[in-house]
Amino acid sequence: MSNYSHPEALVDIAWARANLANPQVKFVEIDVDTMSYDSGHIPGAVAFNWRTQLQNQINRDIISKDAFEKLAGSAGISSDDTVVLYGDNNNWFAAYGFWLFKLYGHEKLHLLNGGRVKWLNEPDAPLTKETPKITPVKYTISLQNKDFRALLHEVLKASGRHDRNLVDVRSVDEFTGKIIAPPNLPETAQRAGHIPGAKNIPWSTAVNPDGTFKSAGELHQIYVEEKGVDPKKASIAYCRIGERSSHTWFVLKYLLGLANVKNYDGSWTEYGNLIGAPIENPSGGSSGTK
Amino acid sequence: MDHSSRVYEDVFGLLPSEENPTPLVRIGKLNPNPEFVLYAKLEWYNPFGSVKDRAAWSMIRQLEAAGKAGRGINLVEPTSGNTGLSFASMASARGYKLRAIVPGRIPQEKKTLLKIAGADLEVLNDDVCPAPGLGEGSINRAKSHAKASPKEYVLPNQYENEANVEAHYRTTGPEIWRQTEGRITHFFAALGTCGTVTGTSRFLKSKNPAIKVIAIVPSEGHDVPGLRNISQLHISKLFDSSVVDDIMEIDFKLAYRRALDLARQEGLLAGPSSGLIFEGAREVAARTKTGLGVMIFCDNIYKYVSSMLKHHPELAAEGFGYFPTT
Repeated sequence: MSNYSHPEALVDIAWARANLANPQVKFVEIDVDTMSYDSGHIPGAVAFNWRTQLQNQINRDIISKDAFEKLAGSAGISSDDTVVLYGDNNNWFAAYGFWLFKLYGHEKLHLLNGGRVKWLNEPDAPLTKETPKITPVKYTISLQNKDFRALLHEVLKASGRHDRNLVDVRSVDEFTGKIIAPPNLPETAQRAGHIPGAKNIPWSTAVNPDGTFKSAGELHQIYVEEKGVDPKKASIAYCRIGERSSHTWFVLKYLLGLANVKNYDGSWTEYGNLIGAPIENPSGGSSGTK
Repeated sequence: MDHSSRVYEDVFGLLPSEENPTPLVRIGKLNPNPEFVLYAKLEWYNPFGSVKDRAAWSMIRQLEAAGKAGRGINLVEPTSGNTGLSFASMASARGYKLRAIVPGRIPQEKKTLLKIAGADLEVLNDDVCPAPGLGEGSINRAKSHAKASPKEYVLPNQYENEANVEAHYRTTGPEIWRQTEGRITHFFAALGTCGTVTGTSRFLKSKNPAIKVIAIVPSEGHDVPGLRNISQLHISKLFDSSVVDDIMEIDFKLAYRRALDLARQEGLLAGPSSGLIFEGAREVAARTKTGLGVMIFCDNIYKYVSSMLKHHPELAAEGFGYFPTT
């Protein structure tokens, strides 16, 4: 698939259609808009709710190992299954789900290239409102890839230094401190701006109008040649709450094949609330317009 | 049908046609050039209150004739405005329903109007990350329902449905041609789905290719309901640049200013999109020696009280103050 470093991380519409009845293949829909699944989904797909099922409901954190085992198992997914993730907004939260599955060591994992919108617009790709009958199974995590996740102390260490690529995937207005968060969003921060030394590469630069990823050549041109991501350095991607940055984490790690890429899921809603953290804010306002 | 008595068997008899056109009213005081005659075509004389009745009826007739709407199959459409009101009222009168997909942020009065007209509302969440370039959550939601439940829903899709264009080719164009006795030189319309401008212009240019078609668009960042500016134009598949001679961009705030002027100086209670079109036509009239222009006034002002208050907060003041309009 377009000379990506890890083409196996993606499947296309034709592959997905051919595997709809394959009992070893489990489709999982994860949407930004959690009502999308109910209006029609890939036959046999289950839905995970990013707000209530993928995050700890008390502490701010991803769900625990135990909770992930319970969630996957109750969705009829075993650790040997092939899991195909897809969702709305060009796979934002599907990419977040991909990152989470990878953190908990799931091996046979694919993102559906183009996501929900691509499937929806394919004339012979079926959609249904029928929820699948699930037989719960046991899901066991035997390996965790904790180094796919950047925590605050690591980000603070990287701030202002140039030994790693800090990639801020938010919009230009968020990056420059003009706004703290896009309008209508409940999760925000006390301060606007970005982490010193970060490069602004909005997530959307990675996708085509039909929702699929750009080719490896185009991605290399944008990320490496134009924006100056150094493939020899480790990279950390961040956004506001960690889902858009999962999308870019996927691009850097699987499509461009960078060796050490982490997603900072704390992102701006963590960093922009810290007392004393260094911030660059070209717009100059202390708190943006929101 | 005999329109002289104005007695009809049902509300659909009121729908406009060459024999029963919506009125043209000449602009008086506000026209800067007496040699350039300007007429407003008052589309709020459509039975459900706007120019959208034409396209909605055309799409409904086509879907019903093909057995794709009615008898248990309802409409699903992303609309919070006039098309929704037309679809909801027409479907209700024909024994089925519209499921309107609307963004949560639209004013309560619009949601209520749709419900009064008989629509089921599906309100989308706004508190999700917006995706630049992907802001069409409502069309995708409507497509999902139509694709997953074809026995329950059909998507007319006003932005892609050629019946939208055909409605104006069949009615709006011939009405204007007959009402002006073929003397029209300029046609002014705004761009939304682009059905009006494409269909009407195709007809008028088939009669006289010299007629100038001027599309009026609001400036970037506008809040004029139902209209698209240049950067939003890709959403419609119905725009045909070959029948449009000029696209004029007008400061969107003038939509509200001119709507006030039209109400206070011409007695035309026209909505903000009409205000915007009028400003474009006024500018053309001022710089053109002679001519006869027809403007589409899409709907009247009653649905836009909160928009008017936002742009002209002085309207909320009590007392007998006179608010200058120029």
